[in-house]
Amino acid sequence: MIYSPRILRNEINTPTVNSLYFKLDIPVEPGQFVMVWVPGKSEIPMSLSMIGEEKCLTVKKYGDTSNVLAATKPGERIFLRGPYGKGFTRVDGKILLVGGGSGMASLRPMFNENAHGLIAARSQDELLFKELFGSDKLTVATDDGTSGIKGNIVEGMKVLDLESFRMIYVCGPERMLKSIVDYVSDKKINMELSLERSMKCGIGLCDSCSVDGLQVCRDGPTFNLEEVKKMEEFGRTRLSESGKRVWFQ
Amino acid sequence: MSKPDISTSAGSLQLSNPFLLASGILDENGYTMRRILDEGAAAVVTKSIGMEERSGYKPPIVSVDDPIVINAVGLPNPGILNVGNEIKIAKKSGKPVVGSIFGKDVNEFVHLAGKMEEYGTDAIELNLSCPHVKGFGSEIGGDSSLVKEIVENVKGSVKIPVWSKLSPNVTSLIDIARAASDSDAIVLINTVRGMKIDIHSGRPVLTNRLGGLSGPSIKPVGIRCVYEVKSSIDIPVIGVGGIESAADAIEYIMAGASAVQIGTALWKHGRGIFSKVSNELEEFMAAEGYTKIEDFRGLALT
Repeated sequence: MIYSPRILRNEINTPTVNSLYFKLDIPVEPGQFVMVWVPGKSEIPMSLSMIGEEKCLTVKKYGDTSNVLAATKPGERIFLRGPYGKGFTRVDGKILLVGGGSGMASLRPMFNENAHGLIAARSQDELLFKELFGSDKLTVATDDGTSGIKGNIVEGMKVLDLESFRMIYVCGPERMLKSIVDYVSDKKINMELSLERSMKCGIGLCDSCSVDGLQVCRDGPTFNLEEVKKMEEFGRTRLSESGKRVWFQ
Repeated sequence: MSKPDISTSAGSLQLSNPFLLASGILDENGYTMRRILDEGAAAVVTKSIGMEERSGYKPPIVSVDDPIVINAVGLPNPGILNVGNEIKIAKKSGKPVVGSIFGKDVNEFVHLAGKMEEYGTDAIELNLSCPHVKGFGSEIGGDSSLVKEIVENVKGSVKIPVWSKLSPNVTSLIDIARAASDSDAIVLINTVRGMKIDIHSGRPVLTNRLGGLSGPSIKPVGIRCVYEVKSSIDIPVIGVGGIESAADAIEYIMAGASAVQIGTALWKHGRGIFSKVSNELEEFMAAEGYTKIEDFRGLALT
């Protein structure tokens, strides 16, 4: 079943990220994803950054398909199927949302008054959704030092009392997740990570997104820290479009 | 009463149960194949491997409109030189791994089969039936003299069993099956050619426009094909097409199949389908008083 809602508004978040708002009455859990089809281009997996009756797709412009999608005008249609995958576990109490790159998009539905944010980006104008958090509940790290701590996301984690959070939710590119997992490996924390791997089918058939025999599209995309620690392939190898094994640099 | 024996064989290949993973589904990563074997499949068939690395088609590669599933993945594969390590990882399960291969002529098939044997696969499955890539698969699988030549040459070049996977998209299945009858087993069926158009964009959903229909929609076609071939040719057959439960598999077995393959059902049931169908099969056999698969295999043929 392909849904084809019309866009209500297109909001610019950063120089490389736009958010498309639309109404679609289907239940979605935070952390689940949809496959978004741009006819004539391709189909890409994306998480939803709002999951109520009004929904939102937050699009990072990184290629042909996402560039066309990000330019969708109000009144035009988008095409998607899903939702797919396993969402995040919800807990009561203090939580930490850790988003690298456009990672905060899939964490946005988890935002509440008990949430602290850690956002990392290359530069200050690429910090996504930092306006969600009050200044006392936000930690920022930038590679170029234009905002917050100068350094990567792990430098940002070092200034936080990680063990004080009931759950830490993390979303970002796999190399970033690997550095986080290595950093927290000896800490007593609860953490769930949303893995990003290239997907073709989204429904557990094609094997493109598999890690250690688990399908990110079906067993994930969210996994708890203990599951991730056991994965031999995590942060080390993946399969390319053809199925050829390649190593993370 | 003792537990029914659900072990079987496909030609000379011994199988702990009749349920194999079909080619094209969750079988390009060695770790995935290994997990599926550990979770209950009797054997896995790899994604079809060719001479050169291929990326396959851009997504959408699948259209899903429950229960209709149509795919055109486009034979992505790392190329035969890059697949040995994945097979090695899968083989750590201790269960059989079948190497699926596709080529554009006899020489390619012979070369690919030799490499698969070298990598330690337990059998070869010739993909003579991919319905959606020009120059491969069905275009070869519809030509009975070419099928005969490929099967004879591959059989003459390897010691491991050779299976031929055939297409239902042909005028005379029996002619093609006879041409492939030097094989150790025939695998029936590959997907049925189909198409899906999205009515709000007015576009074919699949990037390749045409694809192959799989899942429950094609089960009656698969059973008919197995029945037709088993009625006229004495050769082991492996059934595939729309199997989601032991009941579906039992139909294939009663039509004469020695084993079956499962693919699309992984979408709805996940990898757990393999232990589910084995349990269901034991329950059915116990309830009906069958002690082994041979007690009801081919029952519908007599």
